[in-house]
Amino acid sequence: MLNILTGFAACCRAFDLRVSTGEVIDAARHLGLVNLADPVEFRLVLRANFVKSRRDQARFDYIFDLFFNRAGENEDNAPDSETEHIVALLDQELRQRNDQDSSDQDPMEQALVDFLNNDPLNLIDRLHQMHTMEEPAQRFFKSNMGQLSNKLSIMLQINALKSRIDTLVDQTYQGRDAASLKKTFTNRLDRALDLVTREPGEINNLKEQAAVSAPSNDLVSEKPLANLTPLEVSQMEAVIERLVRKLKDRASRRFAVKNRGAIDIKKTLRNSGKYQGVPLDIVFKNKPPRKSSIVAICDVSGSVWSGARFMLTLLYSLHECFYRVKSFVFVADLVEVTDLFDSLPINHAIDRALGQETINRDLPTDYGTMLQTFRQGHMKDLNQKTTLIILGDGRSNFLNPQANILAQMREHCRRIIWLTPEHARTWTTGDCEIMAFKAHCHEIRTVMNLNHLMDFIRELVV
Amino acid sequence: MNKILKPKNSGAVVFTDVDQVEQGLALANYIASREISTVVFLALATDKPILIEGPAGVGKTELAKAVATCLERRLIRLQCYEGLDEAKALYEWEYAKQLLYTQMVKDRINTVIKDADTLSIAIERIASQEDAFFSERFIQPRPLLQAILSPEPVVLLIDEVDKSDPEFEAFLLELLSDFQVTIPEIGTKKPVTIPIVLLTSNNYRDMSDALKRRCIHLYIDYPTKEREMEIVRMKLPGIDQDLAVQLIDAITRIRDLDLKKKPCISETLDWARALMALNAKALTPDTVTDTLNIVLKYREDTALARRAINEIIG
Repeated sequence: MLNILTGFAACCRAFDLRVSTGEVIDAARHLGLVNLADPVEFRLVLRANFVKSRRDQARFDYIFDLFFNRAGENEDNAPDSETEHIVALLDQELRQRNDQDSSDQDPMEQALVDFLNNDPLNLIDRLHQMHTMEEPAQRFFKSNMGQLSNKLSIMLQINALKSRIDTLVDQTYQGRDAASLKKTFTNRLDRALDLVTREPGEINNLKEQAAVSAPSNDLVSEKPLANLTPLEVSQMEAVIERLVRKLKDRASRRFAVKNRGAIDIKKTLRNSGKYQGVPLDIVFKNKPPRKSSIVAICDVSGSVWSGARFMLTLLYSLHECFYRVKSFVFVADLVEVTDLFDSLPINHAIDRALGQETINRDLPTDYGTMLQTFRQGHMKDLNQKTTLIILGDGRSNFLNPQANILAQMREHCRRIIWLTPEHARTWTTGDCEIMAFKAHCHEIRTVMNLNHLMDFIRELVV
Repeated sequence: MNKILKPKNSGAVVFTDVDQVEQGLALANYIASREISTVVFLALATDKPILIEGPAGVGKTELAKAVATCLERRLIRLQCYEGLDEAKALYEWEYAKQLLYTQMVKDRINTVIKDADTLSIAIERIASQEDAFFSERFIQPRPLLQAILSPEPVVLLIDEVDKSDPEFEAFLLELLSDFQVTIPEIGTKKPVTIPIVLLTSNNYRDMSDALKRRCIHLYIDYPTKEREMEIVRMKLPGIDQDLAVQLIDAITRIRDLDLKKKPCISETLDWARALMALNAKALTPDTVTDTLNIVLKYREDTALARRAINEIIG
């Protein structure tokens, strides 16, 4: 039993589920307490111990089914001894070939044979590496063919293995035996093929905020940000100024809460002098609530540009409500613009940050490269107190979105909030990759006009 | 393979298998799914904390109350929020009491240092008496310390742990693995009894791996139709059978809409109570429209549901 358990734990780890030895020990203890013959309880015990968040449950179920329930293998399957015989033949053949010419050795072939022998660990490990493989940094001619070409070669190997098995079975067995054996192997290889083509996603119970009110053209604050004329942009500044003042007032009340935290001994003793040394007037150390630090990454291409403009204005106008604000803009390259805001007045800084001299806006948007660049140079800016705000439509020109980098970023920060100017119904259209990023965000909001943006900033500050 | 568990305290309620937990929770007015009762059973049997995740209003806090009721234990609840520190959660020195005592025993201090020749000797003597002022007498235990020092075992509910700061999460680690607390001036306080710990989280932020590793995980989702029906029948025995069926169907369909906040179990119960008060025998578009604001808490959600009224009634 323990062997099966550790084997399963290894498979879970290969699929990026963090299962520690302590959890395997706990699971073993727990299995001793329940009815092992009950498949539901068995699954529940393993799930309660190996999966520690809702997001990983889909992954766990997938591996569990793969490991324990050999789905698709029904009663008229070939007996185990015959399948083992064929697998042994294949294994032997592979070994001989490797001994003759070690340069031709392909670990994937061995992984497939192991998979047929009910040991999926090797294959799962390799496939997971392939699914999460990153595109090398590309500059001019971008492609996302790396993963696809790898998948294709594995699929061809599976096909070749299938025909080799058919030949072997025909040579060794005849009649009904041969047919059921072929069926068993076809089923197993189909499952391997399924693993190659489809990786289970995460269930993410994130807070999804739809656009509360539909944008209209009547009021300047309800007009879609992308449709604003230069005149309206300047009108907007007055609206924003009013909002900033209001929010500052509310925030200052919040930060001025007194009588919290530990007693200030020095001041209490000093005050006690007035009452002949009796400490009647107790002074507390004033402990304001923690201010969050913000990292904002804004897509400044095309339609998202105006949203980025207003969000940066709001964040920097309210900078005293945050511990620190770091901001980045990107199209294909990622550029840090925090320094501009530190040295220039807000409006000048925004013009400079969005100007052609800071960032080349003629290149196609590439979220994958942006995330890669951020991870290389700025991962240290994220910590458990940072809220990461990404403003963008997630349209990545069919280039690899590399959403697994966002998953790594999630582990380093407190929250990830994604703001998109598009309505949820267009998230699955064209080159929009929001659905891939969504799995790793804590919150995703549609921000189409100034009202939506103001609602968001209000929640962030107060 | 049901092993009989040894009672940890004489007279304490002890469950020997999952079914007993299920029945025990039912007696405490909590209809538990198989998953919930299995996890609770395992946690009770091995003294592991349970980390409960799930959307708001599916009965996470209620489960802790039901566990306390069926085990006949006291429930100690710690509500977490941003800025919660160890002074609020673990223990606090009673400074005011310490100061008052200092004033009152001033004369006694004078006798201690009366025949001291130098200042340093006087300070030495006062320092040797320091323990008198940093003793348990001046400690005010907060929920976490209360839970492990209680002579009777308790159920400790740490509610909405995701709202607390990462620093506070670090404090919890020692408590959750060894059920002990270290107070720098006094030393490590060992547990008198081991509490059953339940932590709830709304997934506002991710908990650290270290915390998750120490717990058994339980995800409670919105209940299935059958379970919700059982809950409604148990809480409102007088409800008309046909109305209950219609109500549960309608709630399930409302949850499928694209809402800002989906209705939870307590809202289903409130709705049922409202319909019973109105003497409604069946759901009609009018009764639903009139009572929709009990189920949905946002204007936009109510508007959306009104538009889909025919789908909701089915």
